[in-house]
Amino acid sequence: MKNRLKVLRAERDWSQADLADQLNVSRQTVNAIETEKYDPSLPLVFKIAELFGKKIEDIFTPDGER
Amino acid sequence: MNSLLQFLSARWTGIGSAIAWILAYFFARGFLEGDHASQGLRLVVALVPIFPFAIFLGAVLTGIREMDELHRRVHLEALAIAFPLTMLLLMLLGLIELVMPLSPEDWSYRHVWQFLPLFYFIGLAFRWRRYQ
Repeated sequence: MKNRLKVLRAERDWSQADLADQLNVSRQTVNAIETEKYDPSLPLVFKIAELFGKKIEDIFTPDGER
Repeated sequence: MNSLLQFLSARWTGIGSAIAWILAYFFARGFLEGDHASQGLRLVVALVPIFPFAIFLGAVLTGIREMDELHRRVHLEALAIAFPLTMLLLMLLGLIELVMPLSPEDWSYRHVWQFLPLFYFIGLAFRWRRYQ
């Protein structure tokens, strides 16, 4: 699954650790999501969308879609 | 501050009970290899490591509950590697035993169990690499 997490985080000038703190996960988890090595769970996806004030599909897109 | 103290407390319980478990194991092993007590007492001593291990297991379960979803996944995948490797080891030892006698000094249960945490740590290192 592709995502825009790194871009959205950079727009707010947050470090990975800042974002991890707000999501209550580890920095490694944020890094693994950003590098698309790990697909987050649905509850975490909702939390990310709420934090950035966006719809889930504005942040995450399935593989093979633009 | 309170959650930090809880975190440190859980870690120290885990580390302390792991050390107590290993010490209890070596104490029991040394005592039992001495062969100078009744069978009843020897059986009690053989079961002594259960108590620190139970505390260790509780600390591990607490630690797992505190992990985030990626860490839980990595540990699950490490177990998914360690479990089949354990089966493979036991199966191969059983088959090799049909070919030649295995020395109990090298291949008894008291030696073989030590491979199991080793497999787990190998699995852990291997799976962490995927997510970094």
